[in-house]
Amino acid sequence: MIELRGIGKRYRVGDSIVPALSEVSLTVPHRAFVAIRGPSGSGKSTLLNICGLIDGFDDGSYRLEGENVGALNEASRTLIRRRHIGFVFQSYNLVPVMSVRENVEYPLRLAGVSDNERQRRVDAVLAQVDLSDQAERRPDLLSGGQRQRVAIARALVKKPALVIADEPTANLDTATANRVIELMRELGRQYGATFLVATHDDRMTAHCDQVRTMRDGVLQ
Amino acid sequence: MSALVLAWRNVLRNRRRSFVTLLIAALGTASILVAGGFAQYTYDSLREGAAREFGHLTVAHADYFDKDEESPLQYGLEGHEALVAELERDRRVRRVLPRIELSGLISNGDKSMIFMGIGADIMAEAAVRGPFLKLVAGELADGDRTDGPPRVLLGVELAESLNARPGSSLTLIGTTAAGGMNAMDVEVAGTISTNWPDVDKRLIYAGIGTARRLLATDKVGMLAVFLQETGDTPALRAELEARDPVHAFKPWWEQSAYYVSVRDLYDRIFGLLGVIIAALVFFSVTNTLTMAVAERTREIGTLRALGAAPADIVGEFVREGVLIGGIGAGLGMLVAGSTMVALLMFDIQMPPPPGRADAYPLRLYADPVFYLLTSLVILALCAAAAWLASRKAAARPIVEALGHV
Repeated sequence: MIELRGIGKRYRVGDSIVPALSEVSLTVPHRAFVAIRGPSGSGKSTLLNICGLIDGFDDGSYRLEGENVGALNEASRTLIRRRHIGFVFQSYNLVPVMSVRENVEYPLRLAGVSDNERQRRVDAVLAQVDLSDQAERRPDLLSGGQRQRVAIARALVKKPALVIADEPTANLDTATANRVIELMRELGRQYGATFLVATHDDRMTAHCDQVRTMRDGVLQ
Repeated sequence: MSALVLAWRNVLRNRRRSFVTLLIAALGTASILVAGGFAQYTYDSLREGAAREFGHLTVAHADYFDKDEESPLQYGLEGHEALVAELERDRRVRRVLPRIELSGLISNGDKSMIFMGIGADIMAEAAVRGPFLKLVAGELADGDRTDGPPRVLLGVELAESLNARPGSSLTLIGTTAAGGMNAMDVEVAGTISTNWPDVDKRLIYAGIGTARRLLATDKVGMLAVFLQETGDTPALRAELEARDPVHAFKPWWEQSAYYVSVRDLYDRIFGLLGVIIAALVFFSVTNTLTMAVAERTREIGTLRALGAAPADIVGEFVREGVLIGGIGAGLGMLVAGSTMVALLMFDIQMPPPPGRADAYPLRLYADPVFYLLTSLVILALCAAAAWLASRKAAARPIVEALGHV
């Protein structure tokens, strides 16, 4: 379902060119839960950004669900992100002026889902992340674990094909991290989503179908 | 949650900053409305004053306004009664009054002064124009009486110079239409003030018959046409010019250089003021939203990652700008309206304009179209400022935005 072939990515720093990814090839099947691990600066996030269509690449090809998405313009990439890709960020990145419900609802609004359907899906996913009673609260009143559950709900509510999670447990204590990992796995199965997770958390990798290691921009 | 509710919440994120911006938008709107309302009141007062002074239209011989006369009333109107009757048949016309412009010497026997006068049917003029002359002493009388010497009204300063008072006898000396000299004894009926000191030093008002006798002519200089509605002036002028090429028809605004120069001056002053205020509002909103955009860069990156298009992001900020502008404009209208009412309740007088002796009340006009247009301009400025502040951030690479600290 995700097919990366010979992906290369370089950054310009002053007058010099710094390679971020070199010849990265990766195939991730449907509904898989794949972890990319490696030290900081190894290129994990860059690879996930490319897979999530929020960054481009210089070499190689990327096929998502069979479509060559590397050649798409920004408007088309926006549409694919809107419909098919969910994101879970390390710092949750919830919108502080929106309630929990409104944060989760936001991707459905962008996708033009009807009011009734939005209501139904948001209620369902909030129940699944056990936050129905917090639906009207603002994110800053929630704990870190609760916020990350809201972020997971927001990522999954539109039933995406792919969820990109960049260090989702980095800011959480062990018990909360375990809960979040279990939740992602469970909901990933229920929603039929493929998870691509950047992590250097062993608690996470233990639950993954496939674990790949990045080092110096090269996927081992 | 509607888009406007979200915009309002975002506006409230930094309440003090938003409040100050909103206040600037409100004060800007109020300033434009108050200044514009004062200008409109002034234009209206001057327009009505000029129309009352000259008549809405002045009808004269075709060459009267363009050529210098070699003798008085060379380009006067003969047999004007028929023209008066024809003009007064139009339902838009309230009254047509003949006038003669006079000049010459006025003497009390010991001292002679130059006078500039108007021969007119004084009582009819007063009936049509209302209290156009301020009577200082004596009475506003018909000058063309038959049971005694003709009577005239003197400008108050001319009367002082001649040591004249109501009942005094004076002599008018002028050039006749044929070019000879003529003199006529008159009696002072009263002294008047136009509130223009320079005019009051030379002014006399005489009856139309008195003026004709002094000039030894049957002609009149011009006809002052008074209309029911000032707004009918351009149309009637066009009609008259089309059907009567023999006469010249001059509207009040071409007669009143004062109105034209004041309007020209005020348009420039208030126009510049409006531009400065608009620029202040624009830069204030731009500054506020630029700070908001900078603070929310990561959030913008998040929303873009979730599938929001740059236009969605810009739209959100534009809604915030429009909210600030809309509330500011609403408050500004309220302030301007309250100021207008307060000025009606408390009579505040403006100092006399240059060259005049009378103060005038400070009033504001509240023209709904002007209010609406001003509000729309403020809204458009705020929307433009928001667009300007957010368009670059919305188009910024998502990864860069997400990494913003």
